[in-house]
Amino acid sequence: MKTMTNGQVANPSFWQKVRVFVKSNVSILLIYGLILVVGIGTAVLSENFRQFSNLVSLFRQSIVLGLLSIGQSMVVLTGGMDMSVAMTARIVNLVVATFFNANSIDALILPMLLLGGVIGAIIGAFNGFLVTRTHANPFIITFGVASVLRGIGLAISNVPIRGVPSGYLKIYDAKVAGIPVNVIVMLLIWLSAYIFTTRTRPGRALFAVGGSEHVARFSAIRVNKTLITAYVISGVFAALGGMFLLARSGVGDPSAAEGLDFQSVVAVAMGGISLYGGKGSIFGALGGVILLGLLSNVFNILQIDVYYQQLLLGLIVLVAVAAYRSPRSL
Amino acid sequence: MVETKAAVRETIEPIIFLRDIQKSFGGIHALSGISFDLLPGEIHALVGENGAGKSTLIKIISGAYTPDSGIIELDGKQYRDFTTNQARALGVGIVYQEFTLLPELSVAENIFLAEQPLHSYGLIDMKERYEKTVELLTRLGAGGHISPNTLVKNLTVGEQQLVEIAKALATDARILIMDEPSAVLPSNDMERLFNVIRTLRAEGRSIIYISHRLSEIFELADRVTVLKDGQTMATKYVADTYHGELVRLMVGRELTDMYPPHNNTIGNVLLEVKDLYIEGTVSDINFQVHEGEVLGLAGLGGSGRTTVARSLVGLAKILSGKVLYLGKPVPSTPAAAAEEGLVLIPEDRKAYGLVLNQSMRFNIVLPNLRQLSLRGILRGNLEKTAVHESVDTLKIKPAKPEITTENLSGGNQQKVVVAKWLLSKPRVVIFDEPTRGIDVGAKAEIYQHIRDLTNKGVGVVMASSDLPELIGMSDRILVFHEGRIAGEISREEVTEEKIMQLATGIVTSDAVA
Repeated sequence: MKTMTNGQVANPSFWQKVRVFVKSNVSILLIYGLILVVGIGTAVLSENFRQFSNLVSLFRQSIVLGLLSIGQSMVVLTGGMDMSVAMTARIVNLVVATFFNANSIDALILPMLLLGGVIGAIIGAFNGFLVTRTHANPFIITFGVASVLRGIGLAISNVPIRGVPSGYLKIYDAKVAGIPVNVIVMLLIWLSAYIFTTRTRPGRALFAVGGSEHVARFSAIRVNKTLITAYVISGVFAALGGMFLLARSGVGDPSAAEGLDFQSVVAVAMGGISLYGGKGSIFGALGGVILLGLLSNVFNILQIDVYYQQLLLGLIVLVAVAAYRSPRSL
Repeated sequence: MVETKAAVRETIEPIIFLRDIQKSFGGIHALSGISFDLLPGEIHALVGENGAGKSTLIKIISGAYTPDSGIIELDGKQYRDFTTNQARALGVGIVYQEFTLLPELSVAENIFLAEQPLHSYGLIDMKERYEKTVELLTRLGAGGHISPNTLVKNLTVGEQQLVEIAKALATDARILIMDEPSAVLPSNDMERLFNVIRTLRAEGRSIIYISHRLSEIFELADRVTVLKDGQTMATKYVADTYHGELVRLMVGRELTDMYPPHNNTIGNVLLEVKDLYIEGTVSDINFQVHEGEVLGLAGLGGSGRTTVARSLVGLAKILSGKVLYLGKPVPSTPAAAAEEGLVLIPEDRKAYGLVLNQSMRFNIVLPNLRQLSLRGILRGNLEKTAVHESVDTLKIKPAKPEITTENLSGGNQQKVVVAKWLLSKPRVVIFDEPTRGIDVGAKAEIYQHIRDLTNKGVGVVMASSDLPELIGMSDRILVFHEGRIAGEISREEVTEEKIMQLATGIVTSDAVA
C-alpha cells in the first residue's frame, strides 16, 4: 500500500485525467472495447450481421439474460451469488402457463404478471432469509433452493404447457416504429437499475455491505434488510425473465432458462462486478450481457459448432475470473 | 549498559546504511531523499507523522520496494536492487502492526510455518519444533506461560505479539523491524515488551522501532530518526533531545497545547445508563452523559470499556438495565440510533470504520445518504458540497474525494471516519480509540473537533487507552476494571497514577476519592 505524502496535487493535466479515468474504468472500457472489436469484425465478415433487423433481434435475445443479470448484479454486489435465478424463472414460467392452460383469456394477463412477480419475490425473500440467518455461503444456499425448485418444476409438468392467450404473446411481438417495445422497455429498466445502484440509499448500501458488513453496520446501514432486498430484487427479475420466456415461446417450457444461472454470473463478472462484492457497475453488467448475446449470435452466423461455442464460453469465464483477482490475494 | 554502548558506537560500522533514497508512486513522492543508518546492537526509533514515509522506508529495507534512486549499503556492500531474498539472507525480520499469525494453528506451528524442522526422511520433526519453540519463548521471557501447543486464538494480544517476535527470531533475524508494536497492547503488557526488546539488543541485534508514542522512545531507544514529508529531518541520540524538539521536527511547529481548553457550560442529561448488565462481561454500570461534556472511559484491554461504548448504540446484548437517550430507551441498532443523533465512531478504522476499497466520497456519504437525497434519489450537487466541506473542515489530504481510502495514511483515514459522522450532525458522539496509531498533528486536529462538538452542546463519550488524551480531554473519567466501574475521577483530581491504580484494581474507588 502506498502512502500519500503531499497534499493537493496541482491541477492535473488532461493526460493525467485521462489516465485516472482509464484506470478507474478499466473493466468497462475493456468489455465495450471487446464488443466493438467483435461487432465490427463480424460486420465485416458477414453481410447478415450488418442488417438492422439482426441488431434488433440481438438486443431482443439478450432480454432474458439481461433481466436475470440485473438481479444477479444486486446480489453479487453484496458479496453473494444467486444460483436460483434460472429455476425461479422456470417455476414462474410453468405456474403462469398452468393458469393460462386452465383459462386461456386475456383478462388473466395482468393478474398473472402480478402473481409471477410475487412468486419471484417470495423465493428471493426466502433466499435472503436463509442467507441472513445462517451466514452460510450464499452460493450453497441458493444452489440448494435451485435444486428444490427444479424438483417442483418437474412435478408441475414435464411436457410443454399450451394455452397462452394471444394477448400475452404481444409482450414479445409488439413494435413501435419497427423497434420491439420490449427492447425499449428493457433499456429503460437497465437505466433504472443503474440509477438505483448509484444514486439511491438502498443501492449504495449494496456496495457498503459487499465491501464490509462490519463497516456497513457501523455506518448506519441495515445490513440484513439490504441483503434481503438484494435477493428479493433478484427473485423478481428472475420471475420477469421467466414470464418473458413464456411470451417468446408461447408454451410453458419444462426446460426453460436452463443454464442461465451460470450465464448470468458470467455476464456480471465479465462486466467487471467483483465476485467478492462491493465493486462494479450495472453498466458493466449490461456490457457482459451484450457481449454474451453477441458471441452467440456470431457463432450462429459463422455456423461454429456448438462444441466450440461451449469451449469458448468456458475460456471466457476463466479469463474473466483471472482478470479480477481476489482482494485476499497478494 | 546503554552508556557503554553509546560510548563505543562512534567507531562501529553501520549494519545497514541508506543514502539519499528516493521513491515515488504515480507521481507522488513517498520518499524524497532519505538517509538512514542502523548500528549493530541499537534500538533505533523511527518517528514521523502518518504519510511521512516510515512504511515506505521499512518496505525498502525489507526489499519489498525497489528505490527509484539512492544507495543501499549492507555490511559495507552496495546494492542498487535490493530484493526480499537478499533482505532475508541478511537477517531482516519484521513484526507487523497487524499480526500475521494463523489463529487456528498452534504457537509452534505458527513460528515454524515457513521452515518446519524436518526429520531426515522428510516428515516434520515435532519434537525438535517443540523444543526450539520453548527455547525461543524462553529467550523472550515467556517460556513459562506460553505452551508451544496452545492455539494462537487462545492467546492474549500481548502473547500473540511475543509469538510474532519469536517467529521473526526463528529465522535468526539480525535486524528486527517493529511497526508500532505498542499500539495494540494494553499498557500492562508494555513493560514486558520493552524488556524483550532490551534483551534482543543485549544479544547484539538491531531494532528499528516505530511508534507514535514519544514517551516510549525516551524510555527505550538509543537513537531516533525523524521523518517528515519523505525526508530525514534529523537523527539524534535520545539522550540529546527532548519531547518538544521531536514534535517540532515531526510537525514543523511546536505543539504547545495539544488539548484545547474545556467548555465550561455543561447542560442537561442526554444519555443515561442505569444498572446495565451485559452478558458475561459487564455489570452494575451507571452513568450519565450531559450536553457539552466529554466523559472519558478508561480501563485496560478487556475491562468492558469498549463493550459499554458499543452497548450505547445497540451493539451489545443487554441482559438487564437500561440505556436511556433523551429519556427514551436507546434504539436497538446503530442505524436507528444514528437517525436519532446518537453515533459511535468505532475503534479500528480498517475493520469497522471504512469500506477500504471505496472512495473517500463513498465513505463520507455512507451514513448520510438520507439527508443528501431528495425523493429517494441521491443528489450529486448535495453530495459534492457535503464532501468538499468535510474535506476542508477536517483538512483531509490529499483533498481528492475520489481517492480510494486504503491509499490514505492512517491519520487521514481516521479523519475520513470522523468526517462521516460529523456530517450527520449528531447530539451524542461515542469515540472509541479516536486517535490510535495516528500522528500528533492529526491527533491535535481531532481533539479540536471533539472540543468543537462539545462547544455546540454535543455530549461526547471517549473510550481510550491513551491516558494523556483521556486526561487532556475529559471532564470526568470513569475507570473500568473487570467489567465494573472501579471509580470516577473528576478533571481537577485526575492523574495517570490514579487511573492506573483503579484500572489495575490496586485501589478501590473509595480510597481514590
